[in-house]
Amino acid sequence: MAQQAATKQRIKRIRLEDALNANVWDVDTKPHIIVDSEKCAGCADKACTYLCPGGCFTLLAGKVLYSYEGCLECGTCRVVCPKGAVTWNYPLSGRGVQYRFG
Amino acid sequence: MPLDMVVCVKWVPNTQVVNIDPRTGTLIREGVPSIINPHDLNAVELGLRLKDSYGGRLTAIAMSPPSAKAGLEFLIGMGVDRAILITDRAFAGADTLATSYVLAKAIERLMPVDIAIFGQETIDSSTAHICAQTASWLKLPYIYYVVDAKLGDGKKSIVVRRVLEREVETFELPLPCLISVAMKSNVPRPVTLSNKIRAKTEGLIEVWSNDVLKLDVNCIGLKGSPTVVSKSVPTPVVPRKKLKFEGTDPAEAARWLLDRLEEEGVKVV
Amino acid sequence: MGLPAKFDVAVVGAGPAGASAAYTLARKGFKVVVLERGRAPGSKNLFGGRVYSRPLERIFEGFRNEAPIERWVKREILSFMTEDGMVSVEYTSNGSTSFTAYLSKLSAWMASKAESAGAVIVTDVRVDDVLMENGRAVGIVSGGDRLYADVVVIAEGVNRLLCEKMNIVTPLSPEDVALGVKHVIRLGTDKINERFGLDSDEGLAWFLVGKATDYMPGGAFLYTNSATVSLGIVVFLSHAVREVKRHVYDVLEDLRASLPFVRLLEGGSLVEYGAHLTPEAGLRMVPRKLYGDGFLIAGDAAGLLINLGYTVRGVDMAAFSGYLAAEAVEEAHSLGGYTSQNLSCYERKLNDSFIMKEMKRHSMVQKLMVKGHVFELYPHVLVGAAKRLFEFEETSPKLLEAVNDSLKGRCSRLRVLLDVVTLMRGP
Repeated sequence: MAQQAATKQRIKRIRLEDALNANVWDVDTKPHIIVDSEKCAGCADKACTYLCPGGCFTLLAGKVLYSYEGCLECGTCRVVCPKGAVTWNYPLSGRGVQYRFG
Repeated sequence: MPLDMVVCVKWVPNTQVVNIDPRTGTLIREGVPSIINPHDLNAVELGLRLKDSYGGRLTAIAMSPPSAKAGLEFLIGMGVDRAILITDRAFAGADTLATSYVLAKAIERLMPVDIAIFGQETIDSSTAHICAQTASWLKLPYIYYVVDAKLGDGKKSIVVRRVLEREVETFELPLPCLISVAMKSNVPRPVTLSNKIRAKTEGLIEVWSNDVLKLDVNCIGLKGSPTVVSKSVPTPVVPRKKLKFEGTDPAEAARWLLDRLEEEGVKVV
Repeated sequence: MGLPAKFDVAVVGAGPAGASAAYTLARKGFKVVVLERGRAPGSKNLFGGRVYSRPLERIFEGFRNEAPIERWVKREILSFMTEDGMVSVEYTSNGSTSFTAYLSKLSAWMASKAESAGAVIVTDVRVDDVLMENGRAVGIVSGGDRLYADVVVIAEGVNRLLCEKMNIVTPLSPEDVALGVKHVIRLGTDKINERFGLDSDEGLAWFLVGKATDYMPGGAFLYTNSATVSLGIVVFLSHAVREVKRHVYDVLEDLRASLPFVRLLEGGSLVEYGAHLTPEAGLRMVPRKLYGDGFLIAGDAAGLLINLGYTVRGVDMAAFSGYLAAEAVEEAHSLGGYTSQNLSCYERKLNDSFIMKEMKRHSMVQKLMVKGHVFELYPHVLVGAAKRLFEFEETSPKLLEAVNDSLKGRCSRLRVLLDVVTLMRGP
């Protein structure tokens, strides 16, 4: 039993929010991601909700909710969106994620 | 009348987002880069807006280690005209009294100055003392929580507004004076290429050691700092309930949230 | 606003390619400005964790002594992973041709070398456009500012928004790139040495395919740095857009929380979680022309990266393309100007260098890798065979029997043969 508990303890998962919190950020007040919700609505797969590593795209009632604060600036959303609904650019003034290790 | 303004800023570790090690619960400090205190950027923005309106010059002052040069370049990138980096081992370990003394002496050296602008507080110590203390040393009027400012009719005063919880106050202060700008009261402008190139190529940052300021070593640094940190207590970690609404209807979600809040004793009016 | 300062060369991006170009040009006496969108060079860079050293040693004086090298790779493991187990091939040596590193620190170091050599590094500035006049690049645009330069080196990285705006390339499609996500986990030097069987200056590079990515084409990697471990996965977006069944973060987290990693990394703390795209299409992603009137393209923006399945070369190729871009600028200058024709020597230099030779030589591997079955089939075949070989009760199978049994029902021997032929065939 004790050993089982120990194993359980060991495989404690890190939630995405906590993983993002391990990073240093200087988040801009203006979003650098804009989603055209009309174009977005026509997409069945919504691959962005699985593939954005920052979890910036989530499904709520069949619609994509997006945020930019946890953006890791990889650009995946732009590439996987089949509808061209994502307008994405790098943040200004060096803002956004600050990789210390990379 | 062109204004001669200074803005005092601090170079602080980027703890804007507190990075807690998810395993040990301790603050992650390794390699955390320093930034200009974010609340000071609101002060810089207010100064730049005054400069846009009336013309003049905005000088940034930081009492910091030499690495703050990068932060001052950032401010010049935003539009600050020049910067003074006050850096000397003699200034290290300063509390707010010693810091405000050095800043006051630096401002005196730059006189005539019309307005000295400060951020509301720093993210690494949050005292909000520096503006008031610097004003005391300089024997000049000061005001806190300013959200915007314009010159008075005779251009000999400044009219500022501050937003309190239940009212908006308007004050008129004679120049020269000191103002402390409310955090998040404006959106700091982005760095521009032309300004950043100036920062990199035109030698706009002066470095002042105590050889320049020639201040009494008993009034600066650790020696000039009567503040004693008696005990440091880590913030207690409040466990979160982590409840999740599983439905899809926004209205239902809102009701659900209100119910949970009421359960916690929050009065929903 | 037009800027009075005029530079010979404007370099977009202070990553490995841009910093190498700037360093080389500054040393040749060119007046160079580097525009970097990050707060500091390297602050927007991210990679797996290993760098091949030789090309960098050719570019940077004193590289081995000064560069922020974490560990020299002395141990390589390639693993095939399924739910049932793992088959690994291991190679240990005393060579020192590649090292582990943090890209943020390596880029910062390269940029500092460029700065010492006389280049002006301008950070916090995003380049929005390449400034064109009469079909010729004459500088760059950032917000309302224009900066003129005689020639522009575009080293803007994999997303290559500028190249897209210039209509040099079509927008990236999932077929072009792979997504890498990675944890940097602090474990401490002693624990790393103990658990991975290393000495303090010895590094491990570990590649895994199969279950590690939910069998999506790509792979997982683990690199040991001095006191941290980089653990990540790479998934080809071409497949991932169709095959991904859960959030990509969960794929990485499951890997970290599964054996053997959960044991190897026990007690570690996460210090960074990041993601980046990487060129994956081989020659397909390389723009038709890597030069034009007044500009050159280098690094990830030029699609110069090789993923061989068991190792990846990116940083060295990016840096060396930047170095060759610098040489091309010098040559064009001596020919009288930065016309497309004069800059065409860049392509020749790339073709003559290891970069294009490698890109072409390994193009078949890349073709094989985009065939999804490889990543599902072979881990199962190998683990199945190993299971037959090692987990017998009374009758122990012969080696070939085990392999045949494992292949049975999974695929034909012809399929395997075809894959081998694809792999062996030259370009």
